[in-house]
Amino acid sequence: MRTSLHPALTITASLIFAILVAPLFIILGASVSDTSYLTFPPQGITLRWFTNIFEISAFRTTAITSLQIALLGTALALLIGIPAAYALNRFRIRLPSWLANVFVLPILVPEIVLGFSLLKSVTISLGLPVFIVLLLGHALLVLPYAVRVVGASLASFDFSIEEAAISLGCPPLKTFFTVVLPNISAGVIAAFILAFITSMNDVSVSLFLTGPGISTLPIQILAHMEQFFDPTIASVSVLLMILTVGVMAIVEATLGLTFLTK
Amino acid sequence: MVKRLTPWILAGPASLLVLLLLILPVGATLLATFADAKGWAAPYLAFFNSGFRRTVLWRTVEISLITTVISVILGFIAAYVVAQMPGRLKSIMIIAAVFPLLTGVVVRSFAWLILLGKNGILNSALLSLGLITEPISMLYTEGAVIAAMVYLFVPLMILTLSGVLEGIPKDVLEAASSLGAAPFAVFRQVILPLAMPGLIVGAVLVFTGSFTSYATPQLLGGERQMMMGTLLYQRAMVTFDWTGASTVAAIMVVVTIAIVLVMTRLARRLNPMAA
Amino acid sequence: MSEKTRLRASALAFGVALAAATSSMAEAKTLTISWWGYNGDKLNANIIEPFKKICGCDIVFETGNNADRLNKLKLRGGKGVDVIYLTDSYSQIGIAEGLFQKVDAAKLTNLADLYDLAKDPQGGYGPAYTIGRVGIVYDSAKVNPPISSWNDLWRADLTSAISLPGITTTAGPMVVLQSAKHAGADAFTDTDKAFEAIEALKPNVAKNYNTGSELVNLISTGEARIAIAQDFTLASMKAAVPTMTWAALSDGDIATLNTVNIPKGSENVDLAHQFINFILSKDVQQLEAEQGVDAPVSTKVVLTPEQAKLWTYGPDMIGKLNRLDYQKLNDAKTDWIDRWNEVFSR
Repeated sequence: MRTSLHPALTITASLIFAILVAPLFIILGASVSDTSYLTFPPQGITLRWFTNIFEISAFRTTAITSLQIALLGTALALLIGIPAAYALNRFRIRLPSWLANVFVLPILVPEIVLGFSLLKSVTISLGLPVFIVLLLGHALLVLPYAVRVVGASLASFDFSIEEAAISLGCPPLKTFFTVVLPNISAGVIAAFILAFITSMNDVSVSLFLTGPGISTLPIQILAHMEQFFDPTIASVSVLLMILTVGVMAIVEATLGLTFLTK
Repeated sequence: MVKRLTPWILAGPASLLVLLLLILPVGATLLATFADAKGWAAPYLAFFNSGFRRTVLWRTVEISLITTVISVILGFIAAYVVAQMPGRLKSIMIIAAVFPLLTGVVVRSFAWLILLGKNGILNSALLSLGLITEPISMLYTEGAVIAAMVYLFVPLMILTLSGVLEGIPKDVLEAASSLGAAPFAVFRQVILPLAMPGLIVGAVLVFTGSFTSYATPQLLGGERQMMMGTLLYQRAMVTFDWTGASTVAAIMVVVTIAIVLVMTRLARRLNPMAA
Repeated sequence: MSEKTRLRASALAFGVALAAATSSMAEAKTLTISWWGYNGDKLNANIIEPFKKICGCDIVFETGNNADRLNKLKLRGGKGVDVIYLTDSYSQIGIAEGLFQKVDAAKLTNLADLYDLAKDPQGGYGPAYTIGRVGIVYDSAKVNPPISSWNDLWRADLTSAISLPGITTTAGPMVVLQSAKHAGADAFTDTDKAFEAIEALKPNVAKNYNTGSELVNLISTGEARIAIAQDFTLASMKAAVPTMTWAALSDGDIATLNTVNIPKGSENVDLAHQFINFILSKDVQQLEAEQGVDAPVSTKVVLTPEQAKLWTYGPDMIGKLNRLDYQKLNDAKTDWIDRWNEVFSR
């Protein structure tokens, strides 16, 4: 949709974005400061807090684990979440109305309690491997974005278009991929971004689900911060921003989703 | 037969994941709070008997609601403008909106110290302009906590809504304006109803997110602005009192569900068309 | 290959891999160590690699904060980990919860070289491998006259100047103890008096901190100019504010010990003893101290004044430290947290 914008709206939105971005300059400044503590404006310029991350082996290995968990967990959440979102909107009358709210539960239950319960009931009682439970736990944690954010996009989708395609002989699954999905791609991308970031940043659930030999990047950063108060944490934030841009570019290229640019 | 089951087959795997990994395990944890030796309600009575804890609960509700309202309004305006932008610019704006979510809570609160602290940028500016004679303390107040949370949740709102506003067909709006509807009427009668599902989802995500938040209120509010998440954390991770922690969690879950249901009802009454 | 055979083939491959993994496990034992996870590369070079050569075993880590790891150990019923590093207040919780086994001192030959307070700090359980202290730091350029006693915190010229450790941190309960002393009362029997003293201290508090990073940020941005802190935070604060000074307190600093314990469910008890003995050896202690990782508890370690500057080091300094009764402290903690919350929320 594109209509002319009222100047007041444009100004307000610019202000909002200015405020969103302003602290990022402070963090960027702090991340290159040649001091052993966080400071702004930076004193001297160095990249050693960035190279530091790559030199510490625990950061490297946990970054890989975190990436795997975030990508697989998000993919799993979308894989089961999108059909659920579709069913909730397409067959609204045939599914109970409370079902949609069930998918909010993973972010409604305090994360510490969720992690604690998962460790107690799933990892220990069922004896499942740490990595699997960590992955499932993250998929669960980001499921609300997959179901509800995609669902919000589907709510404004006109299902009569889909019915027309099917009545013209297009198979339902093909119709979904060629007619429905392109129309909700912005919602899918938004859900992907939110889910990926939530998983990458998660501490509280991971605290309990990591185990011997398996840890995640945010937990490793917390560990580092117990003893070191240097700008490494700022440079990690900056690197995560760069990484996210990269991941979004890859998603755009491989899945061919028109990245918010319709 | 198959057709009747289709909705359940589609929603099944996701429902099963929530049932097996959340409802059952967390349910077991929360049920354990009723096994108290002093009677099933004892931990809850103990909670509500403390004026301090009631204050914390009330403050948490208040801060979360205010955060939600502000985030919804600001997020809607920003997302609306983003939706009107040409392709490249739109991508850049979305990425800019996501970036705050990628900053760790400690660095983020460091940035707030630099901006709003005693010797921060804002205080220095006000001092040099002669508007104040002594630095004002802007941190460790309810306002500071709300500001920091809004900062964190507006991006979530923008992303949720951008997917929804994107889906509103251009011709609907054009038809409305060409029929002579005033801009506000177009907003009230066309855009708002169509955006309502997104607003509800966004508001629910923001509210639940702020209700359970823990690190941000602790860093920017300190003990003066303690929220439920901190109480829970102290019980669970410091005194290892999981019954106490689960009691706090159960209260949080019940209150959040109640408020989310009320919010959804209200939104539906405002707009019967929306989900 | 049909779907079914492919499935069967991959199941077979998986089975073989699993069998291979279990058989190799039977040959080489795996020691699982639970610890914080910072300074991993130095730990690896100084301790893990040399120890692997001695024991011919594999070593796996579980990382996280004190509370996370102890919580997980408790949930697993004391199983899954062979050696756990904790600060003394948390190892005392582990002992109270019955999660650890007593150590066999006869197997720890290096105990003889340790300072007395490190040998057996918690009644037959694990020894301490490093030592630190909690005291007061202040900006000597802005705080005049200098801080020389815990009582100085209540001085009238320090309004909104102090950052106290939150009650849930290692040093938090020490604030309650010192406040009781200030009021001339016993913190455990006369808790009301202690918290009245904390109430009186409140106007001097700018913001309490919950992590070392938060403390350093509060000092570096000038939000606070005095703090009750652990010694390892001093270097960073000094880097930001060069006039930050460790106060020479007439009534003494408080010792903090990091301990190593063997959980009840350890499956490699002998190996765990061997490992603990190894990290207490003079060579490892010397190496760790020289590289700035951990302060030594071995009396045999010799450091230059420059190296020692960082640490709680030497019989004189260590002899002057106050020790705490963590058992009593942990029992009182729940009540103290509630009272603390109420005082500071007002």
